[in-house]
Amino acid sequence: MAQIEQSDKGKKKKGAQKKMSIHVDFTPMVDMNMLLITFFMLCTTMIKSQTLQITLPTNEKVEQEDKNKAKESEAITLIVTTDRDEKGDIKKDDEGRPMNIVYYYEGQPNLTDVTPDGRLVENTIKKETFLGNDGSLQRGIRKILHDRNKQVLDKIDKLKVDWREKKFSPNKDINDSIYQAKAKEIRNDSTLTRPVVIIKATPEASWESLIGALDEMQINQISRYQIDNITKTDSILILDFLGKERAK
Amino acid sequence: MGKVKIKRKSTLIDMTAMSDVTVLLLTFFMLTSTFLQKEPVTVMTPSSVSEQKVPTANLASILVSPEGKVFISVSGEADPSVADGAWATEEIRKEILSKAVSEYNRLHPNKKVNLTEADVNVFSKLNTFGVPFQALPQFLRMSQTEQDKVIADMTRADVGIPIDDNHDLDKPNEFQIWMRAIYSSGNDNLQSSMKKGEGIAVKADKGTPYSTVHHVLDNLQTLKMNRFSLMTALKTEQD
Repeated sequence: MAQIEQSDKGKKKKGAQKKMSIHVDFTPMVDMNMLLITFFMLCTTMIKSQTLQITLPTNEKVEQEDKNKAKESEAITLIVTTDRDEKGDIKKDDEGRPMNIVYYYEGQPNLTDVTPDGRLVENTIKKETFLGNDGSLQRGIRKILHDRNKQVLDKIDKLKVDWREKKFSPNKDINDSIYQAKAKEIRNDSTLTRPVVIIKATPEASWESLIGALDEMQINQISRYQIDNITKTDSILILDFLGKERAK
Repeated sequence: MGKVKIKRKSTLIDMTAMSDVTVLLLTFFMLTSTFLQKEPVTVMTPSSVSEQKVPTANLASILVSPEGKVFISVSGEADPSVADGAWATEEIRKEILSKAVSEYNRLHPNKKVNLTEADVNVFSKLNTFGVPFQALPQFLRMSQTEQDKVIADMTRADVGIPIDDNHDLDKPNEFQIWMRAIYSSGNDNLQSSMKKGEGIAVKADKGTPYSTVHHVLDNLQTLKMNRFSLMTALKTEQD
């Protein structure tokens, strides 16, 4: 492994010190290190999961009067669902993304007016998908929620500029916490028009689609939202929507 | 023409630089990464823009497999100065086990579960658990490889903590017994982080139907653990 090379080129005077250079072969050391690296790469993870905090209402029966009903003009109901095939596998679209669909309607649906063939006269439900931003443009359900919460988002955008320039405080942590507090204030400012979002999921909706809906709340700075169970009304609306779409 | 003399060269390559690089890489990996926790199923969590990190200490995480089986893993205090005492992860797990089993035995006097000291010690070493109470003694007496094999087999009936739509806390189901035992395990830090919602994390696969995960959410609501967190991976607004 380690070699001591003697340079004995040419004739040397007697008694002169021999020059020695020491070579240590590092190949086994490299081998061992590579093995260790492989071990670490396989057995460890660098990605730490993130968490999304939510608060659900209690399951206890709430007195009907205590229930503070959302204003009809502000309420928007999202129903997330996922297209699955007969085996229960999630269908994929052309780009390989799972088919997560969002149906949404505003306010209270009108179920009383029915045409003779059993269709609803006025079905306010609409269909959207989850899409990421295209540059700075919102798409899909995000655009709808974005428009609905525009007043809050405009204010927060202005706040963000100040935050990036560290106007609140030169200290990063203090700057962040002041920004967070101010953003929260804006999100809960009752003088602005803010939507109340009710998120519902069908039994076959994938977990991803529900998280996607919750995520949209974060992105669009919506402070008032809740997860609710799907009702018969919602199923009627969706079935009616699908029926009409097929008839087209 | 004179012959071209080929110089004899030594084929030795100096590996010192290479070794330097590998050692650097190794140090980087050792410092930045954390060890993968053994889990009965690997799930791909959905992604969100939330940047909150999962706490490493004082966490009860609930894993829902795509088949609807439920597993729980509990970790206690990470700070060694505090963790030295009764709040170390293993001590907490022992406490949880004894609380949960005594509660189960109180509710089911006809089919009591009896565990030995050795069983409790085995349980305290388990990172993730998820077998019905009735199968617990048998499970804990298996060897580790057998345990891994059993818990990874999702088709078995005796894998996963039984859970149903029970809303009556006087007759809790097994999941509710476990969660209440974890909450009242006597670790104030765990309890307070569970109250704040950081201490309970629900982890499920992207494709798992809502009807499956809903059981867990509904049970947590029944237990009045309304605040909890959902495990996600990071994404940007562009995706």
